[in-house]
Parts: sequence; structure tokens; C-alpha cells
Amino acid sequence: MILILVHVIIAVLIVWFIFIFNALVRHKIRVSDAWSQIDVQLKRRHDLIPNLVEAVKGYMAYEKDTLERVIKARTQAVDASGLKDKAQAENFLTQTLRSLFAVAERYPELKANQNVLKLQEELISTENKIAFARQYYNDEVRLYNTKIQVVPSNIVAGVCGFQKRDFFEIENIAEKEAPKVQF
Amino acid sequence: MSFSFIDIEESKNRIIFVVFIFIVLFYFLTTYLILVILENSLVPSSVLSRRGFFFPPASHALIVLIAAFFIALLHWVISTNRLIEKMAQAAGARPIDENDIYHQYFKNIVDEVSVAIGGRKIEAMVIPSAGTNAFALQDFNRRSVIGVTEGLLARLNRPQIEAVVAHEAAHIVCGDSLLATVITSLSELYEEALFKMKAALRGSRGRGSALFFLLYIVLLGMNTLSKMLHFFLSRQREYRADAVGTRLTRNPLSLAEALRLISEHWRGSGAEGARLESIFIVNPRHSWLDEREGLLSIMFSTHPPIKKRINLLLNMAHMDDKTLEANLKNFKRVSPVALAQFKVSEDEEPKKWFVFQESKWQGPFLFDEIMQLEGLRPDHWVRPEGLSRVIPAYEDKELKNIFLKSDGEITEPVCPHCKTGLSEFSYEGVHIFKCSFCSGIFLDHDKISRILIRKDMEFCKEVKKLGETIIKGKKKFILKNKAAKSAWVMDCPRCKQKMHRQFFVYSYPVEIERCLFCSGVWFDKQELEILQYLFENQEQLFAKL
Repeated sequence: MILILVHVIIAVLIVWFIFIFNALVRHKIRVSDAWSQIDVQLKRRHDLIPNLVEAVKGYMAYEKDTLERVIKARTQAVDASGLKDKAQAENFLTQTLRSLFAVAERYPELKANQNVLKLQEELISTENKIAFARQYYNDEVRLYNTKIQVVPSNIVAGVCGFQKRDFFEIENIAEKEAPKVQF
Repeated sequence: MSFSFIDIEESKNRIIFVVFIFIVLFYFLTTYLILVILENSLVPSSVLSRRGFFFPPASHALIVLIAAFFIALLHWVISTNRLIEKMAQAAGARPIDENDIYHQYFKNIVDEVSVAIGGRKIEAMVIPSAGTNAFALQDFNRRSVIGVTEGLLARLNRPQIEAVVAHEAAHIVCGDSLLATVITSLSELYEEALFKMKAALRGSRGRGSALFFLLYIVLLGMNTLSKMLHFFLSRQREYRADAVGTRLTRNPLSLAEALRLISEHWRGSGAEGARLESIFIVNPRHSWLDEREGLLSIMFSTHPPIKKRINLLLNMAHMDDKTLEANLKNFKRVSPVALAQFKVSEDEEPKKWFVFQESKWQGPFLFDEIMQLEGLRPDHWVRPEGLSRVIPAYEDKELKNIFLKSDGEITEPVCPHCKTGLSEFSYEGVHIFKCSFCSGIFLDHDKISRILIRKDMEFCKEVKKLGETIIKGKKKFILKNKAAKSAWVMDCPRCKQKMHRQFFVYSYPVEIERCLFCSGVWFDKQELEILQYLFENQEQLFAKL
């Protein structure tokens, strides 16, 4: 009788273990999906910047420094690897872009060129996408981190070696009272 | 909030199952009722008076149930096949035009929001209507569509459109759109059946018609009941979609502004599918129930009162109604269209240039003429008229646009007057063809409504004057022109058929040439601007009638 009971308990425990393990794996996959979304958008941002610089170059001959800083920051951001480094490089790029937009306000001719305007719209859209992708990623990371820390799933997480993931913190270009970026 | 968008997905299937059961029940009841009536009427009246009312045995009921199940299945398959195409067609929505600047930026916004919900693809569509509204559709293959009207694109600014799109995306991720799309397309069938029966009822008399009438009543009852259920659900869902949408954009204020602006404008009643209320963000049919709370509106209105929705959103933003009013008063849209194209024709003497070509000074040329000059390179010397300064062409502020511009290439359509190629242009964000010499404009008929709705350009004095003249003497103007010409005139720039000269419509008496084969329309110089002027001053125009 007791033997049967022990068997039943062990079976229930195993099923429960598998159940929780699968849930954790699903969460983990969602987190990495969310991360790949950020990666796609960051890459798009890096692809757009040279085009934008090329388009405004003709108008902003006196702003060589600003433009060069943007290009340099972009190269750094492309080369960066690892979550922390990436966040730092992207933040630096955001700052240089912000100063570029601030300077651009002084050149009304820029707004007369549909090509430049289109590139700016694309860049703004990409910035928004980065912000949204980051928001989604951080939401998923929060769910996942909570899951591996609360009882009882923390036991399974501990046994199977699920690691906590870091949040991705970067600045949004529209945040803070810097120059107005409305096109 | 701890729910993830993927979790919600799973609860949808249950709702769909309930809807299906509902249809089975509906067919069971109607068929059973017919059976009861039939079996009673087949029994001779002498037997009936002896035995009383006759109920069919349980085995019959079972057969009816099985039959009802298969009919319901058929109904389901028919109405959910090609769901999105059918619904989009009913709402009058079309895929976006890749060349249109407004449409491009609307697509960007939809893409942004689709990133926010985890990278799920959403298609963008536009309804060519001056109304202000938005909708979301979804089918079983997880294909989803978000659409807005041209009026909404032209009147709201970027954050506001984003808030509206996020609201619609919330409907999609929460499964409301799937439910609404399915139910609306199902009730489409009910309505059709009801309509046909109504017509049949008028023609018939006698015993058969009594039966028919009963069936009609049952159908009507079922239709109303299912609608009421759906209305109730849909109203609760609007609040939730507002909340989830705000969670996506983290910007409740913009949604409140958008709702206020939408409620102030014409919502496009009549233009869009009449029975599709519940897929839109605000009810396209303006009804007295809209802003009321009470039993009647709880039973029959599809959307909650907008005032209440705005107040909830303002609460989220920790703001009150006054701030919203102040915000909207200072509200200014930033146009996505390049500023240079705002100035179409100046009132002053147009600028001219001399060009140094083939070792002598030529000209002076107008800007449009220079664009047509062959072999002009950025390093050619030019001299603006009235100035002694000689500069290379690429240094001139206006001329360098010729070299920078990627559009402006000469293409196939040919000006019917000048017989030269038309250049591609962007006017109010719409992709059009323009003749550089006579300033005539050629475009597709369905693009006109977009241009009329948008107000990025300012009118020059000449257009204003001409517009005023037409408004003042409208009747005379129409009579005079009507007698004079209504004829087949020049060749269509695209398909070379004869175009028909006519008024745009009699309420806006601007003469256009219309091709009846390819639906292209030709506007002579400034005619399009005058049409826009008349459209924007339409109240004045109708007052004169």
C-alpha cells in the first residue's frame, strides 16, 4: 500500500517537474525572441545613419564635427558586443544623433528636401521601434526573472541552471527635454 | 500587470467555440420550430382536436440537432472563407499606396506598434473617406489588418495616430477583432436572409405565409439577441483596448486627444459598411444612444460613451479636462510633406537664371525650363537674373534641388497639350504626374479624394480669387459652361483614348478631363488647387445655392 503511494507521489512530482521546466523553457525562448527583435532594429538604425549623413552633408558643410562624431559613434555601436557594452554604445550614438538634430534645426532648407525628410521619418520610426522592442524585451525579462525566483519554480530553475537575464536599458531619443525631434 | 500578450492568445479559441455553439443552437431552434409546425399542420384537424397539440418524438429532435450541426458548419465555412478580403471590401478599405507619403508614414506607425506587441505582422489599409475612424480585422490564419480613413491621417498628428493604432492592435492581441470579424460576417448572413424573407412575405398569402412569418420572427429574435450579446461584449472591450493600447504606447494623453478629435469630426457614417459598427474605434453611425448611459444604451449601443473613455484616460495621465482642452487649442500638426512643395506658384515675378552653356550665356530661363534643359550639369555656371554673382549650379539654393531630387524623372505619360513627358511629383504627399511647361496635372481618380482631405498646401492669391468668383456666381457659371462644352476632347496621357470633359461634380464646378478607360483625370493649370479651395470652403459654397 505504502509502496503504491510512494510511486504515485514520485510520478506526480516528475509530471510537476516537467510541467514547470517546460514553462521555464517557453519563457526563455520568448526572452531570446524579444532580444532578436531589438537586434534587428539596432541593425536597421546602423544602416540608416550613413544614408542620412550622406543626404544632409551637402547642406551642413560647416557641421563636419557633428557629422563625424555621429559616424564614429555608429562604428562603435556596430562593433560593440555584449549587453552592457551595446547599451553604452547605443546611448552614446543617441546623444550624438540628438545633437545632430539640434543643429539641423538651424537649416530650414533641410525641411524642403523630401529625401531628407523621408530619411528622418525612417530614422524616427526606427527609434520608436527600438524603444518598443526594448519595452517588450524588458517586460519578457521581468516575467522570466520573476518566474525563476518565485517558489516553487525556483527549485526547478536552480536544479536545471536557469540564469537571470539582464534588462536592456538605453535612452530613447525623444526622452528628456533635449531638442525637439518632431518632423 | 503580469499578463503577456501571448497568454491572451490562448483564451480566444474558447470564445470562438461559444459563438459556434450559438449558431448550432440557432439552427436547431429554427428547424425544430418548423418541424413542430409542419407535423401539426399535417395531422388532420379532427385528430388534432381529439389529441391536442402534437409534439414530435425525441428521435426527430436528435435528427434535427445533427442536421443543425451540419448546416451551422456550412454557414461557418461560407462566412469565414476569405474573411479579411470580404470585410475589407465591405468597409471600403484598400491596401496602402507605396508612393504616398502619408501612407508610408502610416505604415511605419503600424510597423512600430507591431514591434511593441512582439513582432507580429500587421497589414496597413486605408479607407478613402473624409471621415475620421479606424478599424481592426483578424482571421483564423492570424492574418491581421489595421485600417484608418484618409481623414484621420490628415487631421491627427503622429503620437495620436500611434495611440489609435495601438488601441486597434490591442483589439487584435486580445482577440476582440477575431470575434468581431467573425460575428459581423455571420450576422451579415442573418441580415441577408431577413431581407430576402421580408421581400418574400410581401408577395405571399395563406397558410404557408403564416409559417414563413413565424420563421421570420424567430430569425429576427435570434439576430437581435446575438447582436445584443455582442454589443455588450464589445463595449467592455473598448475600455480594455484603451487600457492595453495605453500600456503599449505609455501615452494615455495622446489617445484622449485622438478620441476627442475623432468625436468632433464626421465619423464617416454611410460611407463605410453600414453593418460593421463594431469593428471601428468609434461608432461610425452617429446615434443618440452614443453618449447615454442607461438600460437602452446598455442593450443596443456598440461603443461606450466617448466622454467616459476620455475621462478614464485622463485619469491615467493624471490630468483633467481643462489641460486636454488647452492642449488641443495649441494643437498643431507637423506635416510629413516637404515644406518646399507648399509654394506652388508665387505671386511675385518668378525667378529666372542665365546658364553658361556651349561657351555662351543663354537664357534667362524659368526653373521649370531649366529642368528641361539638356545636358545641364551641377558644375555649369549660372547667374540669377538681376544679380552679377556667377556661381556653379550646385551652389544655387533652388537649382541644386534638380540634382538632389531622385524623383522628377521624365516618364511615360505625355502631356496632352505640350506633347512632352510628364514629371513625377509629390503633391500633398500624393504621387502625381505634372507637366513642367503648362503645369497641368495628371492623376488617378481615386487619389483626388486624398488631396482634397489634406491641407498641407497654402493657396496663392490667384487661386483664392478664382475660387471666390466661382462661389459667387456658381449658378451662372454652371449654366454657361453646360451649354458650351460637354465633349470628347484631348487624348488621355496614358492610354491615348479620348477624354471626356466634365465638371468634377456639380457641387464643385471645376472642369476636368476624365478618361473613361483608365480612370485617369487631367487638371489644367491651377484647376486642382481651385477644386481644393472649393472643397475647403464648401459651407460657403452651399450657402450660395
